[in-house]
Amino acid sequence: MLDITSLLEEIKQRPYTDLSIKTPHTGIIEFTDLNEGDKVKDASGEFKEIPGTKIAVITREKNPRFIHACQKGIIQKLHKQYDKQFVEAGVEIGVLRHFLSKEEVISILLQKALHLFRAPERAKYYFAPEADKKIKISGSRSITVTDGMELFIVSRMKREVPLTYHGPEGIIYQVYFKHNQNVDVNEPLIGICPPDQLQTIEDVISRVNHEWKEQI
Amino acid sequence: MDLAKKTQQLNDRLNYIKDIFAGKHQDDITLLESRLNEFKDNAAENVEEAVATLDDLFGFMEKKLEAKLTPMDKVRIVRHPQRICLKDILENVYDNYTEIGGQDEHTNDPAVLIARAYITRRYGKKTYNQSVMVIGHEKGHGEEFRNGGSAKPWGNAKALHYMHVAETEGIPVHTYIFTPGGDPVEDYPGAGQQIAKNIYEMAGLSVPVVALISEGGSGGAEAFGLADKRLMLSHGYYSVISPEGAAAIEGRLKRGERASAELTEQCAKNLHLTAQDNLSFGYIDKIIQEPLLGARPYHYDFFRTLRQEIIRATDEIMLEANGFSLFNFSKLRRLQDPETNLDETYVRWHIKRKRRSDLIEQRQNKFMRMSRKTYINRQSILGALSDTWAEQWREVYNRLVYDFYHHQRKHYRRLWEEIEGEWLSIKQKTAKPFKDAYNKVRRIDPAAEEELTTLSKWDDESSRNSAWKWVSPKAKEDRAVTCPNSAVHGCVDLWAPDLYNEFAGVCTNCGHHFKMEYQWFMHNCFDENSIYEFNNEWEAGNPLKFPTLDERLKEAREKTKLKSGCITYEARIDGIKCVVAILAAPFRGGSVGAAEGAKLISAIDRARRKRYPLIIYSHGTAGIRIQEGTHGVIQMPRVTIAIRRYMRAGGLYLVLYDTNSFGGPVASFLGCAHYQFAMRSSNLGFAGPAVIKNTTGIDVPPDHHNCYKALSRGHIQGVWDRRDTRTNLKQALLTMGGRNLYYR
Amino acid sequence: MEKQHKVLIANRGEIAVRIIQACCKLGLKFVAVFTQEDVHSGHVKLAKELGDDKSLYCISSYHDANEILSVADAAEATAIHPGYGFFAEDFRFARRVTERDRPLIFLGPSWRVIRELGDKINTKRIARSLNVPTVPGSDRPIYDESEAEKIARTLFDFQLQQGVEKPLVLVKASAGGGGMGIEEIHDIDLFRSVYRRIRNYAMRQFKDDGVLIEQRIKNFNHLEVQIISDRSGKNPVHFGTRNCSIQSTGLQKRIEIAPGFDPKTIQYTFDAEKVLNDIIEHSLALARKVNYDSVGTWEWIVTKEGNPFLMEVNTRIQVENGVSAAISKIKGKGGVDLIAEQIRTGLGEPLGYTQSDITFDGIGIEYRLIAEDTDNKFTPWVGDIENFTWEKAPWLSMHTHIPHVTKENPYTIPTEFDPNLALGIIWGPDLETAKQRGKEFLNNLVIAGSNAQGQSLKSNIPFLLKNTDRILKF
Repeated sequence: MLDITSLLEEIKQRPYTDLSIKTPHTGIIEFTDLNEGDKVKDASGEFKEIPGTKIAVITREKNPRFIHACQKGIIQKLHKQYDKQFVEAGVEIGVLRHFLSKEEVISILLQKALHLFRAPERAKYYFAPEADKKIKISGSRSITVTDGMELFIVSRMKREVPLTYHGPEGIIYQVYFKHNQNVDVNEPLIGICPPDQLQTIEDVISRVNHEWKEQI
Repeated sequence: MDLAKKTQQLNDRLNYIKDIFAGKHQDDITLLESRLNEFKDNAAENVEEAVATLDDLFGFMEKKLEAKLTPMDKVRIVRHPQRICLKDILENVYDNYTEIGGQDEHTNDPAVLIARAYITRRYGKKTYNQSVMVIGHEKGHGEEFRNGGSAKPWGNAKALHYMHVAETEGIPVHTYIFTPGGDPVEDYPGAGQQIAKNIYEMAGLSVPVVALISEGGSGGAEAFGLADKRLMLSHGYYSVISPEGAAAIEGRLKRGERASAELTEQCAKNLHLTAQDNLSFGYIDKIIQEPLLGARPYHYDFFRTLRQEIIRATDEIMLEANGFSLFNFSKLRRLQDPETNLDETYVRWHIKRKRRSDLIEQRQNKFMRMSRKTYINRQSILGALSDTWAEQWREVYNRLVYDFYHHQRKHYRRLWEEIEGEWLSIKQKTAKPFKDAYNKVRRIDPAAEEELTTLSKWDDESSRNSAWKWVSPKAKEDRAVTCPNSAVHGCVDLWAPDLYNEFAGVCTNCGHHFKMEYQWFMHNCFDENSIYEFNNEWEAGNPLKFPTLDERLKEAREKTKLKSGCITYEARIDGIKCVVAILAAPFRGGSVGAAEGAKLISAIDRARRKRYPLIIYSHGTAGIRIQEGTHGVIQMPRVTIAIRRYMRAGGLYLVLYDTNSFGGPVASFLGCAHYQFAMRSSNLGFAGPAVIKNTTGIDVPPDHHNCYKALSRGHIQGVWDRRDTRTNLKQALLTMGGRNLYYR
Repeated sequence: MEKQHKVLIANRGEIAVRIIQACCKLGLKFVAVFTQEDVHSGHVKLAKELGDDKSLYCISSYHDANEILSVADAAEATAIHPGYGFFAEDFRFARRVTERDRPLIFLGPSWRVIRELGDKINTKRIARSLNVPTVPGSDRPIYDESEAEKIARTLFDFQLQQGVEKPLVLVKASAGGGGMGIEEIHDIDLFRSVYRRIRNYAMRQFKDDGVLIEQRIKNFNHLEVQIISDRSGKNPVHFGTRNCSIQSTGLQKRIEIAPGFDPKTIQYTFDAEKVLNDIIEHSLALARKVNYDSVGTWEWIVTKEGNPFLMEVNTRIQVENGVSAAISKIKGKGGVDLIAEQIRTGLGEPLGYTQSDITFDGIGIEYRLIAEDTDNKFTPWVGDIENFTWEKAPWLSMHTHIPHVTKENPYTIPTEFDPNLALGIIWGPDLETAKQRGKEFLNNLVIAGSNAQGQSLKSNIPFLLKNTDRILKF
């Protein structure tokens, strides 16, 4: 049985995640007038059409591009020593402290409550066509998986092989992988909720909705 | 007399004055207010007298303030919830009516009201009920669901439907324009597209149309406005854009910001949107005088005047269209006498069948005569004269060649084709046994073998990998360019010299089309050295003397080396001659004013006279050039009429949209084309996202105006890849053309 | 060399290692790039060992030209070596490198040559203009149905006359490529329907309805001629031929042998010596014609009857360059390095020798070592390599980017790239010895590892062993 109270307390001790802001590619970096401790916004607008706060400009081949905040939060650190310098790809230029929203807390707790089916190897994952169709129409929770069900397609090195699900029967409560993105080995692919656990899961959600206060 | 009621009335009058002057003339208003309060507080002994005095005072003040009305005040009058609305007119001007376009909110578009109504006239001992189709915007007196009189596309479609009903029934149409503009949210078939259809159809409606303008806001007004007689209320406005909209553009405001009151007031003045202005321009036929500070529902005298004017206008059209017999002439004389009570005269509201085309032609000519002197022609007199001569000669030549010669020739050719076909089938039948025998003996031709293994001749080898004839100057810069879809499709940055030259501005990964100059289309899609430009001496002017427009035009001329936003030329595609007009985005946003309208009309007429297909390429247009006011708006019906004449004469008209095309042009001569295509990644629609946000408060998705959305809505017929433009144009001319088209 | 050059290596893995080594041999500075996935690759390790503080940069992708050029500027490189794959045959990249505001030398043919020979129709036409044999059929797009049918009909008759029992004809979209829009017909009566299908497909897909009609040749050997020329483009020389007929089911090469045939020990039904000489002469003629100015490979197919046909020209250094080098001597000296020659001449030095200075000796065999399941459609195997050792021998050279591995410190095979792990090049004075040494090498080679499911590594060693017996036999 899941001890929601203590788990929640644990998260409350550290109600944020520190996200590393990295350069998407090489180029000369130039910081905006943002400082450590400043608040930043993520993409907003009804259609997320307004990008998040500008953190820096990276210029490559005479083509300047903004690096926007992808989450709201507070700038914890900015490596201004790189200002106006050439940087390589994937270099950390700052740290963003993002305070967890209700959805994120629920997601963390669910990862502990659900049965997780993990990636057997680093590859790109897709749902098998039949499941995919159903999910696209009525969402992942419409699917009950059973042991031995052919649920995924694993794609790597331009080859695709089917992958069967092993584990308890239940509905797919959460999907953790994204289309066309590599999943590392042992990362969770889906979270399964066995029918007898459904009550616990609902409890988690209502507890968080009641108790969690979002910061900023 | 009911004292409370009278007090309430005076109170309304005071509030009305406060509203329309928006904080101006405070002294006068305070005076009125204090007098009214005194009257309310101290129940006077002689109530009747006190009321009369107060009434007089209000009357005096209203007269005084009437003289000080500014254009912006008139805009506020027109928008005031106390202003007369179409329902008031139906109640008071007509003798009976039935709403047929729905009732109140129970209709597909409550902003558009349709009614069958009649006017009763007595002449001698006889009584005549004269039926009309009443179509108009209904703002209501502040009802939310009326959407302020902004018609949705289906509202305009409904109006058009009943215009056709009136046509079937042979009754006149009275349209009432009470709209701040069309509703800009795109929906089937496109907000602008439906307005374009209305204009196009009204240009050929075979029954008389009388239009009355109270609030004539741009495109929305034009959807009902192409009429034989256009009347306007003295306190109304007729404009290309709302003063706030103009102020937002002039003040270069961002989304959500509001223009200052002074700037708005200034813009209202500069737009010359009043009835008096429009009468002097010749865009309306008559002004109907309203009571002081504008007509309100209790001004019963005014409705009587309005009734007389509506009858007079309708009578006049009938008499003019039916031809001037001596009998009609005397009737017309009587009509024009303001003393005549038209309720006691009679003119039959019917147009003889054979006269209907004259009616249409008269209406079209009326519009074609408008706004002639509102642009600058830098051409020499001699050049102009020779052009006119050439035009006349063309007309005669074409009559001879196409109407006479081709007609006869077709006849003989058909006969010959039949004989030839018969002969061939006989020949094949008799030759078959010999041929079969010959084919059975298989032999290898040494020449054929050589053909398989040695170099063959290839005539147009050079056409392979051929470079674009015109290359954008952007291709000269050594820099990388990011595709806007890179986040979604993972497009790698493109190198400008590749992108803007070989790739024709198309992202090789996702197919996004970057903006290209209009020259790309002009020089890469037609046969080499086949372009002949004409009317390039016609120059955009400043007919309203709009402040700073002269400087801005000068700047545009220097920057673009163009004299107007429209380029017209003749060219060939694979030998097929055609007339092309370009709306060039770099010249003041590709906006259309009087000069552009005149150039378009001239190009359309040229295509008609020469029997060439017509292509309009909207490289980008922001709409009607607002600084030209109604001189710009009037180009919508004018150019559409020219298009209608061209298409009715059998011409093939193609429209191609690129980059961003919005506003009046889309809602008229572009939108009315049967064949509209858009370049990939282009946006088109009635009003841009910022305007939609400002007027309706709605946030539209970023792809709301995307060409694929327009295609799904049914606005356009296809989306083209820029690299295939020439092939597609050729294909379009072949498949949509045919024997009946001019170029054949 | 007057100027101190610095070569940016726009590639990874084995070829990057080879280029770094060649640069060091020539006394040139170099810049290597890598992506996060490749952080443990041997080429990164080598660059750290041999380079200075401006010799190694992390980039987001090997496929992004902007990354390459931005690093080139930051590291002050003067030339770019594309290796093979990625940008090697991209004429636009070559053009950008040489025509940007800060131009660099592209270590490959000039972009015009890459463009000219990158177009198969164009290559075929140049070849025919020089009487170089090409696959029988059309050498320009055919747009007319009756003309197309006439060609197909003659092609059938032609093959029958040549003694082909089951003639086949290919119909392909001229604008296509990569196996798209190709169909094979065995009967002329099927031609029209196939032709129309391909034509419509081509129109939809490429907006060009031209088709090519060619003989489909079955049962052939895949031969190559290695060419190199300096920037003058005037005096190309060859480094012999190779036979690359042993391939995977996906038509990827697995074993390459130099020279292309061995008439001394194997009986052929045709004059193999003459065929080799012919394809060399034809290849050189074409190289002269286009002023070829770098290393390149002319790919040929040779039918069972001994008829050679030019297929295409690869305007780059190839994986199997080392096997040709292994049997060559310049002015009597061994240790030929074609990559170094490519860099040296690419930077502007003249070749410095002529054909008569190049001599050949013995037989070379190159094995491509790959983690794959050869019994199961050559499916790549992914996981950790925990042990990788081989026995050193004077007749063996190994090229690999796999660093030293142990069970505790394994190397994870990246999933994003070509699955090549290593190249083993064997030399022998004659075919028999070479084969024997090859087997010895393969038998002593150890490559082991496991994946997340605990399955052990599958390599193509058994496949390579099995196929060693049939090398150079037609």
